[in-house]
Amino acid sequence: MMAAILVIEGLAILLLGLLVVGLLRSNAEITRSLHQLGISDHNGSVTGAPRPLPRLTSGSAEDIMGQSLQGSAVQVGVTGHEGQTLLAFLSTGCSACIGLWEGLQDNGRPITVGGARLVVVTKGAEAESPSRLTQLAPPGVTLVQSTEAWDSYGVPVSPYFVLVDGSNGSIVGEGSAISWEQVRSLLGQALADVSMIRTDRMPDGELRADAELRKAGIGPGHPSLYPDRPPISE
Amino acid sequence: MRSEGIEVDVPQGWDGEIYRRSSGITALSGPGDQSRPVMHMANFPLPSERGDFGSGAVELMRSDNLLVVLFEYGPESAGSPLFSARGVPTVSAGDFHPNAMQRPLPGQSGAQYFFSVGGRAFCLYVALGSHLFRHELVPKVNEILGVLRIDG
Repeated sequence: MMAAILVIEGLAILLLGLLVVGLLRSNAEITRSLHQLGISDHNGSVTGAPRPLPRLTSGSAEDIMGQSLQGSAVQVGVTGHEGQTLLAFLSTGCSACIGLWEGLQDNGRPITVGGARLVVVTKGAEAESPSRLTQLAPPGVTLVQSTEAWDSYGVPVSPYFVLVDGSNGSIVGEGSAISWEQVRSLLGQALADVSMIRTDRMPDGELRADAELRKAGIGPGHPSLYPDRPPISE
Repeated sequence: MRSEGIEVDVPQGWDGEIYRRSSGITALSGPGDQSRPVMHMANFPLPSERGDFGSGAVELMRSDNLLVVLFEYGPESAGSPLFSARGVPTVSAGDFHPNAMQRPLPGQSGAQYFFSVGGRAFCLYVALGSHLFRHELVPKVNEILGVLRIDG
């Protein structure tokens, strides 16, 4: 009888031990994720100020290919042009995304974030709720469903944001935030840096207006630049 | 990018979409016409809300921008004289005219081509951000058309 009790107690202790190990492992995973998001301080306690995540190892962006909300084939170009694009990786199943979905419109119009083109990227239809997505996505907002984009950008968590400078196809900032104010704060520095670098110049430094005039055959001294001056007779 | 029996290689940095327009009644559509595919490709960010022929998008074009629209009509149109040209056309700078825009915009120009491929009738509509730059922009259009494949 005593032996049986000891065996039962031993099994109970073993099970409790396994439970404790499981809990500790789960806690470690959560802590590591929070650290990756930059929302924990050195003591390990959570703070409310998100910080940028490390850049992707490649540092280069890719165009987004996927499907629209209506199921059509879509490609959104984020490289090869001068503008910046803010990719907002949101999900229908993410409770932290709710405020961001609701804030995509301001007074019935899509919001702007520092002059960057805003593109919402969700996972593919196989991983999202189509009916919920229809409810959440306001009209006028560019939205692409692409699990491939989540993979290629290495999105670790949702919500997550990546700012791309199209002029050189580079990722100039990325991180997580739970409000558009935080996004603007998080990416404000990157946006400011890009906008300071970006001027109305061609890649070779020539002013765009000068380049366009030159292409049209209008250079310094061209008569069309001086409409009040009488034409020079030969 | 492939959908609706249309396949095209979208250049890096370009926007593109192949969708099915919601209602199919147009001046050239016959009775009972079903909705038909539309393809948009542009070397500038396409707004999410825009017309089948690019209204809402062409207004955003800069001088070095272009928009390519492929608009399919009903199969009964394929036999009509308007769509008698066979195969995807090649465009030339001389085809473009500022008044060929759906809604003329200062400095811009456009061109329309009607053709058939495998019993399918299409209108190709190209809008250029600058009529002055048509000689530089047209080769880009032909690069796209060169890799456009339509299932018959």
